[in-house]
Parts: sequence; C-alpha cells; structure tokens
Amino acid sequence: MSAGKAAGRPGTVKERADLALNDDFLRKAVRFTTERLRGGKQKAAAEHGNWDEWRERGRQIRLHTIAHLDYYLNLFADNARANGVHVHFAETDAEAVKLSLAIAERKRAKTVVKSKSMVTEELHLNAALDSIGVEAIETDLGEYIIQLAGEAPSHIIIPAIHKNRYQIAELLSEDAGEELLPDTTILAGYVRKKLREKFLEADIGMTGCNFAIAETGSMVLFENEGNARMVTTVPKTQITLMGMERIIPSWEDLEVMATLLPRSATGQKLTVYMSGITGPKREADQDGPEEMHIIIVDNGRSLQLGDPEFQELLNCIRCGACLNACPVYRHIGGHAYGGTYSGPIGAVLTPALQKNVAEWDDIANASSLCGACYEACPVKIPLHDMLVYLRRRKVESGHGNRMESAGMKGFAAVAGKATWFKGAIKLGQLGQKLVVRNGGIRIKAGPLKGWNSYRVTPSLPKKSFRERWKTLSGEVQAEAAPMSAETRSRMEQLVREREKGGGGHGGHA
Amino acid sequence: MADTHKEWLEQLEAQSKAKQESFMTGIAKKLGRSRVTEPPAHPFRGAPDFWRTFQWPLEERIERFTEHFQAAGGNVERLNNLADVKSFVVKLAGEMDARYIVRQQESELDCLGLEEALPEAHLSVWNSDPSENWKVRAAEADIGIVMADYAAAYTGSITVLSAAHKGRSVSLLPTVLIAVIPLERLKTRLGEILIQFDDRGREELPAGIHFISGPSRSADIENDLTIGVHGPGIVYALLVG
Ligand code: SF4
Repeated sequence: MSAGKAAGRPGTVKERADLALNDDFLRKAVRFTTERLRGGKQKAAAEHGNWDEWRERGRQIRLHTIAHLDYYLNLFADNARANGVHVHFAETDAEAVKLSLAIAERKRAKTVVKSKSMVTEELHLNAALDSIGVEAIETDLGEYIIQLAGEAPSHIIIPAIHKNRYQIAELLSEDAGEELLPDTTILAGYVRKKLREKFLEADIGMTGCNFAIAETGSMVLFENEGNARMVTTVPKTQITLMGMERIIPSWEDLEVMATLLPRSATGQKLTVYMSGITGPKREADQDGPEEMHIIIVDNGRSLQLGDPEFQELLNCIRCGACLNACPVYRHIGGHAYGGTYSGPIGAVLTPALQKNVAEWDDIANASSLCGACYEACPVKIPLHDMLVYLRRRKVESGHGNRMESAGMKGFAAVAGKATWFKGAIKLGQLGQKLVVRNGGIRIKAGPLKGWNSYRVTPSLPKKSFRERWKTLSGEVQAEAAPMSAETRSRMEQLVREREKGGGGHGGHA
Repeated sequence: MADTHKEWLEQLEAQSKAKQESFMTGIAKKLGRSRVTEPPAHPFRGAPDFWRTFQWPLEERIERFTEHFQAAGGNVERLNNLADVKSFVVKLAGEMDARYIVRQQESELDCLGLEEALPEAHLSVWNSDPSENWKVRAAEADIGIVMADYAAAYTGSITVLSAAHKGRSVSLLPTVLIAVIPLERLKTRLGEILIQFDDRGREELPAGIHFISGPSRSADIENDLTIGVHGPGIVYALLVG
C-alpha cells in the first residue's frame, strides 16, 4: 500500500473502511455463538497428565538457555536481522526509551497502539511517548477502560475489576458522545469499532514478547483478545520490547512453554491466540509491518547471571501463577508492591533488577515463609528460597533491624537445608491450625519466632483457594485500603473461572 | 526522507552490532566463562519423551478437537466435502445477513463459487487486486473465510500461515471467522505442527504463524467473558473429509 494509492482516494484510512455497522453486526451475530462461554458452563480444562514432568522439562529448557544465553541471544539477534528485523540492544531503561522515542520521531508517529507488555511498563514508556507528543493507546479492553478513566490498573489480570458495567457504560458513553446501555455486548461492540479505527490510524504498533526463538529469529506472543495480533498486523511499523532472557532455542521447545504458560496463567489449554512472527511482512504480503524493530532490554537482568542464588529468576515466564497462589498478594493486591512486577516474583525481581536489597520492603517480608509460589511455578523457580536470600542480604548490608536479624538466624538455620525447610512449612501448616487468629499467625515459638514477635505472617496456604480465601477475608477488612465487596466477589469468581479453565489474559508478554 | 531514513537505519545497525558484541561478552563474563560460539548440546529439547509418540486415531482426533474447540466457545461442523462447505457458508451468510465477506485466495475456496452463490454480499478475495487496501477490506468484513494449514486436537487449535494470497487479517479482523480444515491436516499434538517450523528453517518461514483456539475473548467487564472485542467473536471450524 503505497502513499500514491492512498492519495488516490479521499479521506483517511478510517473513513474508507465501512465500520459503521460493525458493532451492530457483532451484536446480531452473538446469537450464533453458544451460551457455553457464559454462566460458568464452560468445560473445565481437562486434567493434563504428568504435570511434574512437564514442569521439570520447562525448567531444564530455561536453565539450559540461560546457561548459554550468550550463544542463544546472539543467534536470535543474527537470525532476526537476517529476517529483516532491526535489532537493538539496550543496557538500561533509559537506552531502551531513547531508542523507542527515536524510532517514533523518525516515523513522525502521532499514535502508538500497544498490547499489554510488562517491559514497556517497566520502562514507563507511555509517559515517555507522551512527553514527545505521541499518544500511546493501550488496547487490552481492561487497560483501555482504565486509560479512559485516567486511573491505574487495579489488578494485574483484570485491570478494570474495580469497575462495574454501569461505570464502564458511563465512561464509554462519555467517550462515544451518546448513551450506551450497560450491556456487555453493546459495550464490547462499541470498543471493537472504536479501537479498530485506532488500529487503522496508528503509525506504530508496540508489543512485548513472551518467547523469542533463537534458531529462526521469531518472536512469540500469547494472548486471548487478539489485540496483540492487531498491533503486529495493522500498523506499518512494529516495535517489540523484549527482556534479554525471553529466549528459547527452538519451536519444539515452544511446545513445552505453550503447555506450561496458559495452563498456569489462566487454566486454558492454550490461549486463544499464539502467534509466531518471523520478520516484517514479505514483499508481496498485504498486511503485517513494513518495518520491524526488536529492542532487547537488559535493565538489570544480567545482574542475575552467575549469581547462584538468583540466576533462576531469569527462567520466569511471567505466567502470574505465583501471584494467584500467594495469600499475601491476594490479600493486599498488586498496587501495594509499588513496582511493575508484583506478587512473589515482584518481591524478588524488583530489588534484584536494581541490585538494591533496601527495596525489599515489608510486603516481601510477609511473603517469605510460604512455599505456595514455588509449588505453583511452572518452571519451578524457588522464589521462597530467594526471599530468604534477599532477606539475608538485606540484613548483611545493614538494612535490617535487630529484631529481624534475630529472626533471620533461627530461620536461616532451618532454611539452609531444603528438607528441613519443607518440614518447617509442614509444621507451620499444622501448627497454624492451633494458632491462627484473624488469619494471621501469632506464635512465640518455633521457626517463625523472631518475625512474629511484632509482625503478623499470613496464614500458610491450605488446600484450595476458596478455603484460604475464607481465612483471609477476615483480614481483608482490617487492611488500610480494603477492596470493595463487589470487587472481591469478582476476584473470587475469577479464581473459580481460572480453576475451571476460564478467561482472562494469557500471561504477560 | 527515504534515503535519510535508510541511512539512519544503517547507522543504528552498526551501533547495534557493536553493542551485540559487548552484550554477549558481558554475559559470558558474568557466567564466568569464555563465549560459547558453537551450538551447545541441548539434551532437553522439546517435549518429554513420553509425549513425543502420543497419537490419537482419526476419529478420536475429531472428537477431541470438537470437544476442546467447543469448550473454548467455538463452533464445529463435520462436513463431507467442499460442496457441503459451500452450502453451509451460503446458508450461514444468509441467516446472518452478512454484507461484506473476505476470503483467502486459495484453490479450495476458489472452487466453492461463493461469489455467484451470494450475489447480495460484497465478497472480496485477498490480494486479488494489489492496489486495494486489504486491511481495510478485512476490517469492515462481517465474515472471513480461511483454509487452515493445520489443526491440533489436544489443544483445540487451528493454525494459519501467512502468504501473499493468505492475509493475516482475514482470520483476525472480520466479526465471524470460518476456517475450513481438511481432515488430513488435523493432528493430535501441537508439537507435530511446531516441529515442522524447525524443519523448514528460518528462510522458509512465513511472516505470520497463528494458532487460533476459539473466539477472541476479554474478561474485563465485570469478569464477564466478553467475546469479539478485537478478533472474531464467532468462530466456525469446518472439519471436511
Ligand atoms: S515466578 Fe511466578 S510468574 Fe514467574 S514463572 Fe514462576 S509462577 Fe510464573
């Protein structure tokens, strides 16, 4: 599509597409879909056998790749370049931002459409784009609603969970300049039409990257909505920001990641879309980006390399399973972590990326005794051990106070041996039956001693989330900023759906 | 601008290549060894051994694919031949009152004769006229029709590969997607499909490889599963053969 052709017809691309009735058609056509999606009738994800073998395989693939990262990353960069991609390396967040802005400026971009990407959040790229007058549009439905409202997301998986359909209808009506009924289908239809106008107009599509395949220089995205596909299909320029550790060797290895990631993230067998993109559009193709950039970002990741206690952090596939498993996270929500990455992985990753143990705050403290994150992790990252290491480093570097140090010594002795540690957790689980009050543990004996003399440790996980939720719900009210009952019931529903293999986003690129 | 932009890109590339060296050297140094430049032995490549030989017979593949695709909110029809595909599509387009239809330029779809059978609808064939703005044609389409290159029963997924005559937009932008899957393309495992991309090698891969496992879904309005906010909200998989 050359400029000449576009000039042959009047108006913008948007005006030339007959989108007027696009949302109407969706509404009409919905009766042709089954009711299976609604009312929780969706069939549960079938039991996937040999889960531990898959986890172990996933771990081995990640360990192998990271242990040879110089080889595989180099191979990826060479192959991506051979595919026609402009590959860039950024050691710091500032460098990654500078590169992104330079491309946007070169392209004289007015708008950038984005699909959810943790790396771009880590870089605060939206604000940076805004500062040079480029509008960044988040296109995940929830992110879009939140952006319209001018708020911050309230939940990592369902960012607009604190808004009910009436509030969303109000927001969208304001945007539309006409009243939209608070009906999910009508609202979805409106956003569909509105956002596809944005996709067609946008100069640049921006994504993250779930996996990068070294042997073919391809990048892989997992998602449920289809907006990541839009972002990589419609605009003429694509910019992908990827953490330097996102590499896997081959497409074969992708089968293992595709087996682990969606099941751990949302309980799905596979996200609705899994896309492997190998270079910009081919000469004769009529869609896909003409120019494609991949910015490989370090920003503290390489600090973990060669660190025996933290190298495995780079194995993380950002599935969010540890968040869902973590009673502390469920209790206090994502905002309290104060970084891009929340939950157990965030508690370790945030200070690790900055090599700043002082960053490890009270929230991380609260997480450190419970192994639920490790049990949930599809690549078996020992987050609970790492929390202990971090704590030790904090104490060693003089950031802990005396009370904490005292607690640490006793605990480190137990945690030093894995089997002892497991035993301690078991003890904790049993012991807490006797001592739980208001969902927290206040005991003065055993390995929890030092920490609990002044701090309440969350109850250790029992069997199901539902049970755990009950234990915690008493505590929720005691928190400074409790979520509303309405929000909480939606979160609970989310977890139920997830257990049955329901929706949500498909992990985070 | 074109020239200066090209020069600018070349400049960036030179910088990038220099940086690549220091990046890799830095990684090797942190890992406490010299650079690895030969392919390392990768004993854990791909799925675990027990999985690699796992196969369902055809009837079970059909059953499982149907079950899984429906569970994700998709529709599955089992049809005997392309003539049945034609009558199915014509009936559906009529019932839905579809005004715009876009399809891939593929021989199986060419011989359906949909253009004559649906005179009321604007039916366009991807990239039949290279001067057309095809993304826009797909964006306004009510129905998109594609041939699946592969399908996997275990995950209930359809695979489509891009090419000049096979737009990525056709399976993405229309409100309704119809994918025709010849039975011989229906595999058991995802791995049977993925390994083919390793075998083809970098130079033979298309720009876009897409696995589609149901209608586009979001879960952001009161946790209600909302379909079709971006991709097709209604998806039909037509198993043919
Ligand atoms: S650390 Fe958490 S987010 Fe990362 S892979 Fe493990 S469970 Fe998933």
